[in-house]
Amino acid sequence: MRNLIAFLKRFQVFLVFAGLQVIALSLYFTFFTFPRSQYFTTASSAAGTVLSWRNDLTKHLSLSRTNKKLQESNKDLLEKIPRNFVQIQKHLYTINDTLYKQKYEYMAGAVISSTVDKTNNYFTIDIGSRQGVKPGMGVVSDNGVVGVIHNCSAHFSVIKTVLTDDINIDVTIKPIDLNGLLKWDHKDAIYGNLTGISNDQKIKKWSKVYTRGSSGIYPAGVLIGRVTTLKPVEGEAFWDVKILFSENYRALQTVYVVRNLMLEEQKELEKQIPAPVVK
Amino acid sequence: MRNLLKYIFRFIFFVVIQTMVLNQLEVGFGIHPMIYPLFIVLLPFDFKVIPTMFLAFSMGICIDIMSNTYGLHTSSLLLVAYLRPLIYKALSPRDGYDPIKEGSMYDMGHLWFLYAFGSLIMVHHFWFFAIEMFKFNEIGYILRKTFVSIPVSYLFCVLYQMIFIKKEKIK
Repeated sequence: MRNLIAFLKRFQVFLVFAGLQVIALSLYFTFFTFPRSQYFTTASSAAGTVLSWRNDLTKHLSLSRTNKKLQESNKDLLEKIPRNFVQIQKHLYTINDTLYKQKYEYMAGAVISSTVDKTNNYFTIDIGSRQGVKPGMGVVSDNGVVGVIHNCSAHFSVIKTVLTDDINIDVTIKPIDLNGLLKWDHKDAIYGNLTGISNDQKIKKWSKVYTRGSSGIYPAGVLIGRVTTLKPVEGEAFWDVKILFSENYRALQTVYVVRNLMLEEQKELEKQIPAPVVK
Repeated sequence: MRNLLKYIFRFIFFVVIQTMVLNQLEVGFGIHPMIYPLFIVLLPFDFKVIPTMFLAFSMGICIDIMSNTYGLHTSSLLLVAYLRPLIYKALSPRDGYDPIKEGSMYDMGHLWFLYAFGSLIMVHHFWFFAIEMFKFNEIGYILRKTFVSIPVSYLFCVLYQMIFIKKEKIK
């Protein structure tokens, strides 16, 4: 017993160091894959409030750019309102359209904190569970895909962006309809990578890459980027595809959180797939 | 009492500058300046190791919460706090440290500061980027990031001392 106490006394500095280090590293590695609480992220209300003060100070610097984007999307919307259309066939349409039912809803939010240089980049936005945001929802912007909601509190949410490890968004390359997964190589915020693209087909440079929409997080056909380079993966039947993102993540100000109104239905159906038998 | 206030102010100042300004600076080339290790270096010489480590832990957690890194900054800052007495012992002047002085470049001289702070920040940055990447085949990229960020961080720390510590000396 005395020996044990002597040992503990002798190595107490190292033991305290090791204990704290284990806490810090286990926090890092567990939170990265699965966030247990909101208190250690910028979704916590104290950190979120401070960041929104900072955003109030700095958002004016990009006002003109934000304004231009808004005007463009306003123009698109204006072209869609009924008074700008001419009715070609009279008395042949009904108000209650049963052919189309709304599947996706969007909630607008402002980015109050973002990084693009780090190995894993998270954005904080100023809407949270009070506005209907839930972890796992997709986030898009005017020109592309932003990521997935990682964690949210009452008034703030943290987005795991496409600029992180293992974001794995299902994509499809048009017009040849090859499916793959979106990855990021940690280096440059303007390029992404695709994996799982089989190399039996040629892919033209600058062919567009869209979301596939199979997971139900994003609607199908949201533009992500364009193919820039193709490299064969050694010993495998896949292309290593590099794409240029269509969204400029360095200057992102507003995003839209996507809510799939039929996600429950899809999940319910997919649950009935029998689990693979392990041999 | 006055000293305590000074350290509390410094703690808040470093957390705010790191999270609100330096983490948002995106210069490119993998540059990520981090100045908060200077807080640990500037603590009094007779400050014990274990309180230093708890201080480093709390400061790291504050920075992690504000920058969504969940313990990355904490882990690297703990390493700095743990290695600080070892480095100080190795660089100690002939008749020991004067407890009134602190480890700034004005009190201890530029050369001492370069050796002590330089070695600590090197360990800190390397640990930070290595844990952040956590892939052995990216070692070249980790080293590039480390050695590109160190001069920038060092420059910011020298700047901090020129602005804040020199004034205290004149008074």
